[in-house]
Amino acid sequence: MKRFLCIALSALLLLALTLSSPAEEAIETVVTIVRTPEQDHAERPPCFPDPADQFIPLPETENYALNKPASAANHADVYVIKNVNDGKTDTYWESKGFPAEVVIDLQGSFQVSTVAVCLNPSSIWEPRIQEIAVQLSLDGETYAEAAQAADYQFSADTGNRIRIDFTPAEAAVVKVIFLKNSSSRTMGAQAAEIGVY
Amino acid sequence: MKKVRTLQAAAVAVLFLALLSADVPALADQTLLTIYEGPKTMQSSSAASVSVNGYELFVYDVMVNHEHIWNANTQPSSTPMAYFDMQGRAVVEVRMPGLPRPVESAEVLPQSWGITPVVEDGTVRFTVTEPGQYTVVFNGSVNQALHLFVNPLETDVPDPDDPDVFYIGPGEWAIDAISLSDGQTLYLSGGAVLHSIISVASAKNVRICGRGIIDGSDYPAWNQPGSYARVPIDLNHSRDISVEGIIVANSNCWNVNSYSSKNVTIDNVKIISGRQNGDGFTFQSCTNHLVTNCFARTWDDSLVIKNYSGSTKGITFRNIQVWTDLAQSMEIGYETDKGLTLDPEISEVLFEDITVLYNFHKPVISIHNSDDAFVHDITYRNIVVENAFMQGDNGFNNELIEMTLQNSSWSTVRDEFGSIDQVLIDGLTVLNTADGKVPRSRLSGHDEEHRITNVTLQNVTILGQAVTDLKQLKLSIDDYCDAITVR
Repeated sequence: MKRFLCIALSALLLLALTLSSPAEEAIETVVTIVRTPEQDHAERPPCFPDPADQFIPLPETENYALNKPASAANHADVYVIKNVNDGKTDTYWESKGFPAEVVIDLQGSFQVSTVAVCLNPSSIWEPRIQEIAVQLSLDGETYAEAAQAADYQFSADTGNRIRIDFTPAEAAVVKVIFLKNSSSRTMGAQAAEIGVY
Repeated sequence: MKKVRTLQAAAVAVLFLALLSADVPALADQTLLTIYEGPKTMQSSSAASVSVNGYELFVYDVMVNHEHIWNANTQPSSTPMAYFDMQGRAVVEVRMPGLPRPVESAEVLPQSWGITPVVEDGTVRFTVTEPGQYTVVFNGSVNQALHLFVNPLETDVPDPDDPDVFYIGPGEWAIDAISLSDGQTLYLSGGAVLHSIISVASAKNVRICGRGIIDGSDYPAWNQPGSYARVPIDLNHSRDISVEGIIVANSNCWNVNSYSSKNVTIDNVKIISGRQNGDGFTFQSCTNHLVTNCFARTWDDSLVIKNYSGSTKGITFRNIQVWTDLAQSMEIGYETDKGLTLDPEISEVLFEDITVLYNFHKPVISIHNSDDAFVHDITYRNIVVENAFMQGDNGFNNELIEMTLQNSSWSTVRDEFGSIDQVLIDGLTVLNTADGKVPRSRLSGHDEEHRITNVTLQNVTILGQAVTDLKQLKLSIDDYCDAITVR
């Protein structure tokens, strides 16, 4: 009986030693596996719904300013005035300071009622406010106020564009006057596109 | 006799019980693991397989670069990277089918972990007992080194229903750019790969956190035709910002940038970068930044401080691992007054508990005051360089330590110069060099009025030898340096 007890105790001792020897074998693990959804391509994150539905609509009528002669007193760095109505929002004009005037010769007289100012629609262009006024002219010398100076909010949520609607009037030359820009990245006015409708 | 046998039996029983009781804590020593599936749109790397406590991890191939000299058209290669969260301990098993020959030896870096892996039949096995960053090098080569990021378990996960929280769950996601405003939080879950960039401009109280990856691989390098710089995390004129836990990989330019911002904390952020101008943590004209528990493997300067518009003050890097494939590991400069401001300074900068796993190119510690700033009160404490392999550029720029007051191609101010004062290097250990010799170091002022002064180096050990004088350190100084002490 005693011999049996000794053998049993020895066996248990051996078992205990076996259990205790390789520490990593004894790691009790509680695992949480975070699963990924079924996808066949990279999707837009649902928490950032496509803002296109919220974009400020531009008039569907002809843009009389597109590719017409445009001028400004100056430009910063490489952001030249021809970018302001080249039909592309990934190029832009930037002034060296304020006030900054963009004059666009429509090369003809047209009934106009809206000026649209667009920035690059990418949200890397953080929200900013620009103060803008619009004047119209038939001869490029005498101008009449179409829209007095006001603050306009640019936000990627609304397409980084604004529209200035005013009482329809005949115009051959349009002057867009920028008075300030709240962006911390620049000391000047910015416009990727100016449209006249 | 009967009494003796009874005592023997009792002793055996006590021993048995003691062994059992000693075993209880180990058996009850529960490990908590969180592992993340990879996006269903991606495949785990064929170069490596990694498991922890028997659970397979998703392994990402990320861009790195083994070209250790500037090349505007360089082509990166790739290396495996994996991550998980842990509380407790985990046995990591790694197999490397992508290597040209079976694994015969392996090292786990940094050496301060004190881990000696077991290599058996091509499998590398080791145990990790705390969160941190682990790099495994195989067969004595840095090619296909595995970067394994062990995060602590997540706490304080933002509420997805909070209207100020943008919650990006696991999966592969793409959006041109994300702009965060006052009080907003971006959460990027583990298991997420986000192709985008995050901009925080003129904002305050913003948090970026999670375990996921911000990936720039969709975009060509910034200097290639038609491309442009897309900085994955870009803080600009902002304050009270925190960035925690995420991985930044495959950027097409700089990685984590802060410009004219203040009160920024960055914790447990991991950067792996292999493309042109892939600087790691780079701050310009910032104040009060604290970077802790981070990792940066970069193909340009790893930890960088410059002045672009105003002065820099109060920057701390603490407990950071660095792997510098190109340029400098801890760089102040070259631009120290790019904004042409009045009396520019860079001051109260602390690099503490920094481990440089590898530096392959330019100085490990460098102050290049290339404009006219007053750079002062700069401290380097407990810096360990495991592999100081600075090959330099054709015999130049291969110093261990370099401080200069000269113009460079990055200078904006060319007719005025600054100074460097009060620099302390307390605790610098170099474990290995390419040629088994002490690398040279250099201090060079500009003229009588623009000097490098009060630089103290102490507790320096190179290749196992305590270094206590300039000659031993191979430190050259010119006539425009004063009070340079090695002790």
